[in-house]
Amino acid sequence: MSFFTGFTRRKKENKHLEMILDHDGRNWIVSGNSMRITASSLDGLDKKLERALADKLQEEKKLSVFMSFNNEVIPMWIRPYMNHYFNRILELPLQYQ
Amino acid sequence: MAKTQRSWYSGMATTEDWWAVWLGLGFFVLGLLTLSGIDLVGWISYPKIWVASLPDGAIAKKIVTIDHAFYALGGKYSLTAKAFYKSLGPIGSILATYVVFTIATTIGAYFQKWDVKRFFIGWTIIFFLTYLVWFLGHNAFFAASAVDLKKSHFPLDTFTLSLGGGASFILALIVGLVIGNFFKPLARYLSEAAKPEWYIKTAIVFLGVKVGYLPIKAVLTGAKLGAHGAQMGQQMAHLTFELFTAGAAATVVAYLIFWPGVYTISRLIFKLPRKTAAVLGSAISICGVSAAVATGGAVRARPIVSIMVSALVVVYAVIELVVLPGFFTHFWPGTSDPIVAGSAMGMAVKTDGADAAAGELLDEFMRAKVEQESNGKTVWMPGVITTSAVMTKIWIDMFIGLWAFILALFWVYKIEKHEGDRVPFSEVWFRFPKFVLGYFAAWWIYLGIFFGPGQSGATADGLAILKNAKVGAVAVEKGMRKLFFMLTFMSLGIITDFKKLAEAQFGKMVWVYFVSLFLFIIPVAVIIAYLFHHGMQIPNMAGAVIN
Repeated sequence: MSFFTGFTRRKKENKHLEMILDHDGRNWIVSGNSMRITASSLDGLDKKLERALADKLQEEKKLSVFMSFNNEVIPMWIRPYMNHYFNRILELPLQYQ
Repeated sequence: MAKTQRSWYSGMATTEDWWAVWLGLGFFVLGLLTLSGIDLVGWISYPKIWVASLPDGAIAKKIVTIDHAFYALGGKYSLTAKAFYKSLGPIGSILATYVVFTIATTIGAYFQKWDVKRFFIGWTIIFFLTYLVWFLGHNAFFAASAVDLKKSHFPLDTFTLSLGGGASFILALIVGLVIGNFFKPLARYLSEAAKPEWYIKTAIVFLGVKVGYLPIKAVLTGAKLGAHGAQMGQQMAHLTFELFTAGAAATVVAYLIFWPGVYTISRLIFKLPRKTAAVLGSAISICGVSAAVATGGAVRARPIVSIMVSALVVVYAVIELVVLPGFFTHFWPGTSDPIVAGSAMGMAVKTDGADAAAGELLDEFMRAKVEQESNGKTVWMPGVITTSAVMTKIWIDMFIGLWAFILALFWVYKIEKHEGDRVPFSEVWFRFPKFVLGYFAAWWIYLGIFFGPGQSGATADGLAILKNAKVGAVAVEKGMRKLFFMLTFMSLGIITDFKKLAEAQFGKMVWVYFVSLFLFIIPVAVIIAYLFHHGMQIPNMAGAVIN
């Protein structure tokens, strides 16, 4: 099963959150766990999410957020060709240089 | 409710890709039952070349009269229910085909949450239109070759276009395009059932039966020719494996040359942004729409980039489908290297539908040409050229998941350096084309029958088993596969609106596509195909009845 849950599962002590990633034509949107965050870039989105999860992050030290893309963003006529855009895992805290 | 891919089994009941597997393998399993003497697939209706009335002295052999323009394949091939299937007649077999496939496809439409009523009506219109076009395309004027005329004792000066089965495909595409471009409200209505990707993926699973059946056919044909049948079967099995390995090698080389080439053209000549160049690079050089979407996700592009590129791909793919089969047959690489041409087609034409359709058209054109030019002394087994085109394309499709994964790692960690961003390996599976599982299962199971209980046709017991296997295989690989190819051609036409090319704000992308495709991808594809496939020969079956 670990094959399908990504690289970050190797650190079992990490708290794992599941969220949905979306795009409305202008902004990236991440939602779930009673929050909804938007930003025009993925980097911006990640930073906002980190701020929103600050309390939880203080408790857990490390968090990993699995973002499943909402593939309904892909138009109906394209889905027969490819019905998956991308999923990603965000490891928090971010380590900006 | 968001539609996400989270588990390995996501989409098994709801996507076209998986439904191509279920539909394809369902009929494949029905076909296998002939091994135990139960023929449940002989109803499939298949066309014959026809004329309104036979000229004096002619006999109804390869060319028949209009009232025999269709027949149930079981009426000819079944070992256990020949009389029953024969009794269906042309209309009965078409209706039986309609009923069976309407039930099967409507169940698929229901699970995929389409508008079932609209699908049913659209499917019915497309189905009968397809059969009408199939009928017209098999008129002797379009389809009969010199060999067909000779075998039916027609006058030597009878003029025909000698297009073989290709005429029906071209007509289906033309009728579809007329609907798609001049009767747009009807096209929009039919779009619920005009699903070229579903139909072609199902047809490719059926093609898996064909590839597995090729050695069986070679053995049985070889026995008729009085040659060493078993040896011929082994040769054909060997050829399919050669296509398999050469297709993989050619694909890797093509990836490594095509993608950087198109990316460079996009960036240096047309000054496109990095992400657009990457998405366009994958779309033009790899596998069209699926590559555009996969790469868009890999480089974290806004979805609109992939959507724009995809719209461009589907129109260009149809242009390639119209232009390349004739060009490859009559100009370059020509009939001297048919497998090279087939493989190049697989590398050049984007989208599975257009590629498999172009491969099938190429198969028809090339076989008709060599038969005509050799006056019947060279007769190639149908489907081998199509197989070479599809085999290469399948490798390309399979690699896209891996390629997008590598690209994502490179992009996320090296190019854009997203902090904390990790790429799950499960992405490879989510982007894997599932229909190829059906294709390989069908191929390898028939191959297992050939080498296993069939004993390569070397013994009488083995031959008997292979004869039983043939009954089910022919109904699927010939009747059902061709029908689904016809449905693909018709549907491709219906959903293709050339005006979109002018209306949409594609800007430079149209020219990047044009330049990259015609001046770079196609010539390089032929060269790579030549390097890996040159010298592969299709066995000459002249003198035997080719089924």
